[in-house]
Amino acid sequence: MAGQSQYWRVLTEPLIRQNPVTLQILGICSALAVTTTLATALTMSVSLTVVLTLAAGLISTIRRHIPETIRLIVQIVIVASLVIVIDQILQAYFAEISRALSVYVGLITTNCLVLGRTEAYARHHTPLPAMVDAFGNGLGYSLVLIIIGGLRELFGKGELFGQEVLPLAEAGGWFTPLSLMLLAPSAFFLLGLLVWAVRVWRPDQAEAREHVPPGEMEAAE
Amino acid sequence: MTRGLWTRETVALLTLAALLPLAVFWLWLGGVEALFRLALILLVIAIWHLIFMLARAQPPSLSALVTALAIAMLAPEGLGTFQLILGISFGVVMGELVFGGWGRNVVNPATVALAFLGFGFPAAPWPVFDVPLAWAAIPAGVLGLALGVMPGALMAAAVVLGAAASLAGMVDDAVLHAAGIALVLLVVDPVTSAATTLGRWLQGAGYGGLVILFATGWGGAAPAQMAVAAALLASLAAPLFDDIALSFWVYRRRRRHGRT
Repeated sequence: MAGQSQYWRVLTEPLIRQNPVTLQILGICSALAVTTTLATALTMSVSLTVVLTLAAGLISTIRRHIPETIRLIVQIVIVASLVIVIDQILQAYFAEISRALSVYVGLITTNCLVLGRTEAYARHHTPLPAMVDAFGNGLGYSLVLIIIGGLRELFGKGELFGQEVLPLAEAGGWFTPLSLMLLAPSAFFLLGLLVWAVRVWRPDQAEAREHVPPGEMEAAE
Repeated sequence: MTRGLWTRETVALLTLAALLPLAVFWLWLGGVEALFRLALILLVIAIWHLIFMLARAQPPSLSALVTALAIAMLAPEGLGTFQLILGISFGVVMGELVFGGWGRNVVNPATVALAFLGFGFPAAPWPVFDVPLAWAAIPAGVLGLALGVMPGALMAAAVVLGAAASLAGMVDDAVLHAAGIALVLLVVDPVTSAATTLGRWLQGAGYGGLVILFATGWGGAAPAQMAVAAALLASLAAPLFDDIALSFWVYRRRRRHGRT
């Protein structure tokens, strides 16, 4: 029983409390680039989660055999092989989404989130907890991607998964799409607002201040 | 009066006073419609100031009037009320209030709001400025210099570049007018412009140079759009110009006095 609740904790911890994107600010390059529509965001989330989970399992299985000095190379080789498999599957069965994602599936190889989890967790744990942790982190990443992708598609096009949700003004409805939402800066703004909201809700995530304002320094003396 | 006469609100009021010629001319030419637009924008900004006062104890500032005037004059026309409110909210909250209110902001909230509106709704037409309105920017700038709230070096650099480009026939008169109005409304803001003299020269030259670059190379853009984009880039680069000026000063001191 104790083991089960521990797995549950490892799985749910990265969803919000230790979320890789909003707390550790890892992997935001792809998070910003692929969130123009919900479909690409979802595909990217699934690809990353699969790659991360499998890579964590493999690396954890051979963790006692990886030479310390070349461990990063070994990890990258494993991750890259999995990414190539995923990329080929996407090209074969989801050609359109694969074109929309362009290089970002390939760039999962260098996503700091993947290397961070394999380096920090999978190398020191048995395969099952390592995979649970990787799956939880993948879900945390997916959560952020889907929230941002949904908001951007909803307000940028008035659609969700390509289905019209808000009737457009050009077609007789009332909603004027915000074309800014389809540009990269809006993803930065949304991610910033999301991080702000999470840290207001859970103030323990806020970073320590780098500087003390002069007024408070005098007051403290 | 232990803190002296020059508080944040004095600076805000004097900036507003310097901009009055421009504001009066604009209201006179624009009539009731312009007054209504200004009132709506002011209301939105005032509500945000109130929210941040209640939520984070940030004192509201009269600089809201300056921001409202700049947005009302330069914002694209024909936007819906909701779109205008969204753009202003974004500019005022993300450009100013989250940093702790006027005086701590990095970029001018009006510039941010205008850039957001311009990029967010590219179909909306930008305002066109009449010649008398553009001339009203000159007394505004002179008043700002005399009252000491607008940096002279910045204005001089921009005006010299603008005059040179105009003599060389590189920029249109319409662009020059819009750039002049944006200069006094957005660029010479006492908070977000460069703080060192050399930095101010550089920023003014940067603003003028960007306007010339956009005027010659950015086909299909409205004059006001060029001016706002140049103002945004110049004010984003202001800390860099200050840093260059400080590094230069440190380097010169080191050469003169040795390593200390």
